[in-house]
Amino acid sequence: MSRDLSDPTATRPLGVALLLALAVASCGDPDARAMSGMPEFCQNVLPSVEAHLAALPTPGGERYGGTAVVGGIGEIPDGMNSLVSADHGANQHQIFMNLMTLLRANGDLELEPYLARDWELNEDLTEVTFHLRDDVVWHDGEPTTAHDVEFTYLRATDPNTGFPNAAFWDHYVGGADGVEVLDEHTIRFRLTPHAELLDPWRSTAILPRHLLGDVPPDELRQHPFGTRCPVGNGPFVFQEHRQDESWSFVRNPGFPEELGGPPYLDRYVYRVIPEQTTLLTELLTETVDVYVAPLPDQTPQIEASEALELRAFPFRNYIFVGWNSRRPQLADPRVRRALTMGTDRAEIVEALFRGYGQVANAGVPPFHWAHHEGIADALPHDPDGAAALLEEAGWVDRNGDGVREDAEGNRLEVSIRFNSDRTRQEIAEIMQAQLSEIGVAVQPEVVEWATLVEQITSADARTFDGVVMGWVTEFKVDDHDLFHSTKSEQPYGWAGIGNDRLDVLLDTLQLVVDRSEALPLWHEYQELLVELQPYTYVAFPRRLAGVNRRLQGVEMDVRGEWVSVADWWIPADRR
Amino acid sequence: MTHLLRRLAGVIPLVLGIATIVFFVLSVAPGDPAALYAAPGVSPEALDQIRRNMGLDRPVHERYVLWMGDMLKGDFGVSFARGQPVRDVIFQILPNTLLLSFCAMVLAFTAGVLIGVLQAIRQNSALDGVLSVLSLFFYSMPSFWLAIMLILAFSLYARNVWGWPISFPASGMTSVDHAFMSPGAQLRDRLMHLVLPSASLALVLAGGIARYMRGSMLEVVRQDYIRTARAKGLPERTVILKHGLRNALVPVITLLGLYLPFLFSGAVFIETVFAWPGMGKLMVDAYFQRDYPVVMAGALIFAVIVILGNLIADLLYALVDPRIRYG
Amino acid sequence: MDSSTGGIRGGRWLAFLLPGLPQALAGRVAAGGFALVVWISMCALVAWRLDRVLGSWMGPWDHRVALLSLLVSLGGVWGWSVRDALRTEPARRGWWNLAGRRFRENRVAVAGVMGIGAIYLVALLTPFLAPYEPAVQGDLLQNRLVGPSTQHLLGTDHYARDVLTRLLYGARISLAIGFVAISISISIGTFLGAIAGYLGGAVDSLVMRFVDMVIAFPRIVLLITIIALFEPSIFLIVAVLGLTQWPQVARIVRGEVLSLREREFIQAGRALGFSRSRIIGRHVVPNILAPVIVAATLGIGDTIVLEAGLSFLGLGVQPPTPSWGIMVADGRGNLAGAWWISTFPGLAIVFTVLAFNLAGDGLRDALDPRLNR
Repeated sequence: MSRDLSDPTATRPLGVALLLALAVASCGDPDARAMSGMPEFCQNVLPSVEAHLAALPTPGGERYGGTAVVGGIGEIPDGMNSLVSADHGANQHQIFMNLMTLLRANGDLELEPYLARDWELNEDLTEVTFHLRDDVVWHDGEPTTAHDVEFTYLRATDPNTGFPNAAFWDHYVGGADGVEVLDEHTIRFRLTPHAELLDPWRSTAILPRHLLGDVPPDELRQHPFGTRCPVGNGPFVFQEHRQDESWSFVRNPGFPEELGGPPYLDRYVYRVIPEQTTLLTELLTETVDVYVAPLPDQTPQIEASEALELRAFPFRNYIFVGWNSRRPQLADPRVRRALTMGTDRAEIVEALFRGYGQVANAGVPPFHWAHHEGIADALPHDPDGAAALLEEAGWVDRNGDGVREDAEGNRLEVSIRFNSDRTRQEIAEIMQAQLSEIGVAVQPEVVEWATLVEQITSADARTFDGVVMGWVTEFKVDDHDLFHSTKSEQPYGWAGIGNDRLDVLLDTLQLVVDRSEALPLWHEYQELLVELQPYTYVAFPRRLAGVNRRLQGVEMDVRGEWVSVADWWIPADRR
Repeated sequence: MTHLLRRLAGVIPLVLGIATIVFFVLSVAPGDPAALYAAPGVSPEALDQIRRNMGLDRPVHERYVLWMGDMLKGDFGVSFARGQPVRDVIFQILPNTLLLSFCAMVLAFTAGVLIGVLQAIRQNSALDGVLSVLSLFFYSMPSFWLAIMLILAFSLYARNVWGWPISFPASGMTSVDHAFMSPGAQLRDRLMHLVLPSASLALVLAGGIARYMRGSMLEVVRQDYIRTARAKGLPERTVILKHGLRNALVPVITLLGLYLPFLFSGAVFIETVFAWPGMGKLMVDAYFQRDYPVVMAGALIFAVIVILGNLIADLLYALVDPRIRYG
Repeated sequence: MDSSTGGIRGGRWLAFLLPGLPQALAGRVAAGGFALVVWISMCALVAWRLDRVLGSWMGPWDHRVALLSLLVSLGGVWGWSVRDALRTEPARRGWWNLAGRRFRENRVAVAGVMGIGAIYLVALLTPFLAPYEPAVQGDLLQNRLVGPSTQHLLGTDHYARDVLTRLLYGARISLAIGFVAISISISIGTFLGAIAGYLGGAVDSLVMRFVDMVIAFPRIVLLITIIALFEPSIFLIVAVLGLTQWPQVARIVRGEVLSLREREFIQAGRALGFSRSRIIGRHVVPNILAPVIVAATLGIGDTIVLEAGLSFLGLGVQPPTPSWGIMVADGRGNLAGAWWISTFPGLAIVFTVLAFNLAGDGLRDALDPRLNR
């Protein structure tokens, strides 16, 4: 081997450094990268938004300015396209930030004007007329009119769109027959009278017809509007979305003063951080201002930090173990009640949720006006009572192995399935430990999420015994799909209990408009649920959030974490 | 040369074969892409419509033919879960993975080669032992755990507890105000965000590289030309660096081809922990959501990279080692 | 050193009472010391947990296995030491013995083997060692997430279960997963690799294209599909890990066979007209054993780490089975507050993989004469 005159080792580090610099620089300019890969639609739309914003004055005042960063573990699926999304976080970004709804709820959950200036119902509750504001413009400068509302309504009720929340409009007359534009700012809808009939107008944001009117309904889901270049009319203007990484919004300086005016924040960023320990670190190092839904076990660290504040507020969800009454060992309601009584739910709330929550007994959360306090002690933790119920139902430990058998010798074995969510797994494992003391052999089984969903929702493959799940209700609680006997073979008829009185209640509850008339029915409904125990209702957890104290004006309640985002502000010295 | 062409020609059927198998494996997996939108109150009709909008109402073989046809035309379809063309999704994610892999590779090879050479020079010394144990230590840690530990140490405790003058960002690719920084600050911001993720990826890889490097170096220093060089009275430094290192490096470079797939799919843990949107996490998430178009495209890219990586590794190897001949 | 008697000059009768001591005194500190430590700790264990040991034969199967392991390791240590101390005939010299000597000279590797021995002993003796029952939850309100203390040496997890107990029980789960998975992948890999390398031609290219395909197949797709399709169980995890790891082994074996094929003794066998199966079985396989053993020791470690990764994705073994992977993955959400839950199993994984790798490296050096000239 001869000596090589050139010395390659000398140039190598330089080469590496050059390559590195190139690699870093090539992705250094996000604007250039973002624009070059943009769909044509966005290339047309974004400049007009920019032009519109440039013409507006920047609001002055000591509260204006700064960037707030919110961190959560998941993306905002389907982004700002309110017609195809059903996600809780996505919905809040739509209705509180980028888009507008006709109505909004105040702290007492009463509906208030928002995009609609006011509204009137006719005598027999079959028509509702909205008078819209005339000072709201889309972020590209086009005015928001009744035609946008009509467009949104038509798409929402068009089955081709596949709007997940289409059931909101079940009692409305769908399609062109149900809607009439009276003038640019007045619109009327036809419906059959029912409870909470205005609620859909609080939860579904209006979309711009002038941008989406030509898109066929079945292509709305894949339209770049939702995730690449949404154009709203709300207090925040979409700025940038980096896939799986972040969403940025900036202030809309033209937002009507009467609705609160332009938001204080210059900029709002939502960051996707999938690992919760990382998220906690970001919160503790003050690089994230709000940590959405931290684990209950992380609360001590948040509370220990002087810079942070822990928010715990009521939420619309509950966690339960759903029983499949088609299974022979679970067919008897007494057995299902015994399973509930054998589980120390108060201890679960205290330990797993660290007290941030309360024991649930039926599916009407505490925030709801019809929540029934009277059933709080209906099924206390009582292993002896549970054992007695099981004996009564014919389950006795006949061979002394610690597990009860029926007369034919079938063991009282119950498998409880769950996806790999820690709280759900913990509930199943705690039930396994606690129910073994009353002679029930519980087998916890973790199943991958999509598989689990298929196992419980396809009516012909329903062989599970129990499943740990959670529901998020709307302000309007409607369990029709869960427990009505006609829905037993539908995807959500897991329990498969058929009860005539329950059917009657489920049918009428949604139609009684007068709350004082409806309340006794709601109470009866919840008492019946306790008796039938289609689910072991475990808990109404409180929603948690870690918030940096530099962020002022943060209100969080059952309406969501983002309800007051337009009023968030940061003192000048903390920006 | 003909061998190379033949191998390259073999790549195409291999990739198509893999794509086909992946397609049918996916089609037997339980789960429904439309279930993402399913909830009580969502009518079965709405779900059916969502399924139709996704093209899932057609039988499997029909979907396969359609997908194959589109794919050959360069169209990967539209992501179910994201509603965007798969090509757009990949174009947004792929650069992130490339950046992270590149930095991790540079770090890992630099550290691995250094450690390996050091070990080989001081074979069987205490230093050799300590370094092998140390590199194995990092190699055998579950990478997500190592990553979280690094975050806790170098961003949380470094700042809040130990009061170090420097701490690293725990996650993300840039700061939120990156766009408003000067170009110099932007570069620094990017590099700071790269430190922890690429270090944790590199720590896992460097151990393996060091082991190969040590073996390869030991083999080389026994070769005749090294003895000749020594006999000629060249200084030991020159012998080791000029003659030994350069020849020992070649088989180690072939590792590059073999590590590529790991960087593309095995980095999922690192990507998750550091909130670094990369291909590994994209693939896993897509599968959990039954977002078949994205999974298919990811699998295809993965297969091509692995096959090309292997091919390059083989060729490099054959170039250096004349004993291996393809016939 | 006087090799004819193992270097023991005096005090060989000590072996009857304290096995290993004579060897240790004679300079073989590692082997003698290990034997002595095993002997003393076993005796201490019997004294400490006498009730459990005595009652174990009537207990569940794992208690019986533990008793058996206890007796075997006591007997083995004692027997080896006594026989070694009393041995008078010279040690045999053969290829394997030479390899064994080379291995013993590699102190790091010997430490690795002892580590493996210790881990297996602990795993087998878990029923005697564990302070609590693995699945029993403590008082959820009082004892949840309690740090290391005298009550719970390694603290408690979020079910108020004792981490040390779960760590001990987890040892056998993780070791079993590693061991069985690697057996599967070694068997398949060796078989296909040997066939491809030996037969060559069309069979070779067919098998190797298949290997290429499996390597290029995104493993995560296969893993998730299988886990989604079937009810997840520990056997499934093991099978999946085994079925996806064999291609590397197949490649190594094929390479080795290719070079073997041209060696003189194989050529001679062929000239003598031996059947192919005989040549493969009698000559090829024994000669490729060395790289396969090395691949196996290294692979066990990889499998244990991989299982942790699967657990991270929520695809691990069924709870409440305590595998180390699940423990690390489950506890990671608490790392900032309750570091002990996932740190100790993490260290256990590191320790185990380290031991296997050190032993594997030592084996490779010992079995490959080229490296030890």
